[in-house]
Amino acid sequence: MNLLEFGPQTGITIGIVAGIFAGVALLIGILILIVGKVFKVDVDEKITKILENLAGANCGGCGCSGCSGFAAKLADGSGNIADCHVTSPEKKAEIAKILGVELKDEERTVAVVKCLGSHENCGDKFDYNGNQTCAACASLLGGNKLCSFGCLGCGDCKGVCPDGAIKTENGVASIDPDICLSCGSCISACPKHIIDRIPASAPVYVACSSKCKGKDVISACKVGCIGCSMCAKACPHGAITMQDNLPVFDYTKCTGCLTCVSKCPRKIIIKRDVVAPESPKPLESGENTERSA
Amino acid sequence: MATFIAIILSAVLTDNFITVKTYGICPFLGVSKKTSSAVGMGVAVTLVMLIATLVTFPVYWYVMKPLGIDFLEIIFFIFIIASIVQMLEKIIQKISPSLYNTMGIYLPLITTNCAVLGVTELFLNDLSLPGDIVLDSATMNLGWAALYALFAGIGFTLVMVIMSGMREKLNYYKTPKAISGFPIAMVTACFICMAFMVFKSITIGG
Repeated sequence: MNLLEFGPQTGITIGIVAGIFAGVALLIGILILIVGKVFKVDVDEKITKILENLAGANCGGCGCSGCSGFAAKLADGSGNIADCHVTSPEKKAEIAKILGVELKDEERTVAVVKCLGSHENCGDKFDYNGNQTCAACASLLGGNKLCSFGCLGCGDCKGVCPDGAIKTENGVASIDPDICLSCGSCISACPKHIIDRIPASAPVYVACSSKCKGKDVISACKVGCIGCSMCAKACPHGAITMQDNLPVFDYTKCTGCLTCVSKCPRKIIIKRDVVAPESPKPLESGENTERSA
Repeated sequence: MATFIAIILSAVLTDNFITVKTYGICPFLGVSKKTSSAVGMGVAVTLVMLIATLVTFPVYWYVMKPLGIDFLEIIFFIFIIASIVQMLEKIIQKISPSLYNTMGIYLPLITTNCAVLGVTELFLNDLSLPGDIVLDSATMNLGWAALYALFAGIGFTLVMVIMSGMREKLNYYKTPKAISGFPIAMVTACFICMAFMVFKSITIGG
């Protein structure tokens, strides 16, 4: 049987072809409709509402794939609003209202580079003449610094910082706490994992990430933590515990007495200039196009 | 057995869809920045290629050919593939949300992908394979077609992964500003295609 035999004239042929297509389109349309009905997925309307209130920076600082992933996590109750460091407090209150939870007062955090290993303090294992990115340098024997936990100073963090808060000087990066929005881009970009978040009001922090034993640290770096636990013993408030040859601060107990700063034989517990706790301008949801561009 | 090996070789290497036939360049350049997304795209394309062939092959040989409307194959196939992908997306979203998260976003992108259309068109005429094997209308069947489609998808995924790996490595290097970004990706693609030309010399049983 040949369908086109019915119409010898061109007009009728076209008509038949058009008819076939109309029929097939109708059939497929009905089929898609049925499949759509059978396999219907209810989208939680909470997610879209939360997404409207998030900053929309898609920075990934919360550990989710973009803001929509974070919104889904918040909606099913496994996420924590405090994990987003970019959304403004007012918007966070809105989200808490949508979720029906109490928003805890949480403090602003900033990122710090936990290393002072500049060229004078920490020597080179070898001359590195390759491409000047930390990722490339770190892939070669873990980088050219003598200390395997040291900042490589090529500025991968500087490249990803959306706010321009990072500068690299003398082979070590530093972050301006007044500009930092604590989005976490640099934390994930650093191949040595030596950037960490601390509360913005923290009076002190340890500027070293070396988990090596004291003897190895001394041979590698002039300003490395040797894990002597002098600070932990000296702290009158019990705010310091030792972990992997490094002091860990409990900032809820720290009063800023600076005993640890004076006791540290390597002078790597750094007193921070904590200014008035005035928070920098958080990102409004309208600004995000500029930021992601 | 020779046909079996010839189909795999042809689909993956000698007639690779991206590098030799230059189909599917859009996902090849668009979704190859990260290996994870390249794998997601590759798996999605493989699945759609297989299912599209399983549907269009019988439709062509048992419905369109006897009815004398086989000259409408391109429009019909686009119809069929687009609707299959639509349905597939809904089904995956319902059955396996985790699979939908990794693969679902790529499905709408390939509704009218030329690689998928190209693989379904391939089995309508004689298909010559390495080793002077020719599948004509007498020897071609649904099994061979499905096998070819599956391995064409695997070849697609292979090239996507190679390309994404090279582009990820490129991030380690500072390229001159004039060619950084998309231009250097085109150069990379060019070298991959040239490398695949070597496989043209493969013969079977000689």
